[in-house]
Amino acid sequence: MRVYQFRHIREPRIVAARVGASGLATIERVGTEPLRALLASAFPDATELDVIDRTGGGDHFQVVVTAPSLHGLSLVEQHRRVYQALAALLADGTIHELRIRTKGAT
Amino acid sequence: MTYSDNIRQVIDEADVALFMKGTPGLVMCGNSDRALQALRRAGAPVTAVDILADPRIREDLSAISGWPTIPQVFVKGELVGGADIVEELAESGELEATLREKLGDGYESRRSEQTVSLV
Repeated sequence: MRVYQFRHIREPRIVAARVGASGLATIERVGTEPLRALLASAFPDATELDVIDRTGGGDHFQVVVTAPSLHGLSLVEQHRRVYQALAALLADGTIHELRIRTKGAT
Repeated sequence: MTYSDNIRQVIDEADVALFMKGTPGLVMCGNSDRALQALRRAGAPVTAVDILADPRIREDLSAISGWPTIPQVFVKGELVGGADIVEELAESGELEATLREKLGDGYESRRSEQTVSLV
């Protein structure tokens, strides 16, 4: 059985307002969803997958991943997998600070 | 010019290398402080490098280690991890066990902190 635990600490911040072709401003929200989606895709076997916006600012995150695919790997290797999954968001500055907690489920 | 050779030298030669923002005397980032405090609690002999001295130090370091964030802790040339891992290992007692295994019994008596400037 897979149990996904998602929780928000605060609402995602509004990071940009764009004026579309219609002349109406559309609001883009960047919260924990992009991180969750990338992690869920990188760890389809995850038994626990949690992303917390630590400050409510949308750029300091804590992620928790427990997955059988991490079992037997060193913590360095486990964290590398998380960094790889989130590489795009780390590279473009979306993630300013990332705390990671991983576990290899048996 | 590149810092790669000097970075490799610190990693290879220091018992415990801590690449951090700031120095042990003036820590410039909470995560660097978490790693430093964990190493202190474990009684590690720390050789610190301030990566803020030049942005290219960090670029060259990450290229060598394949680790994207700061701080980075190496014991006897091997990447142990960043702040989260070092803190986790310190809490579980594994950090002390690793230090004892790699540096020998009584490593705590060599407890020290030095800063190496690469610039």
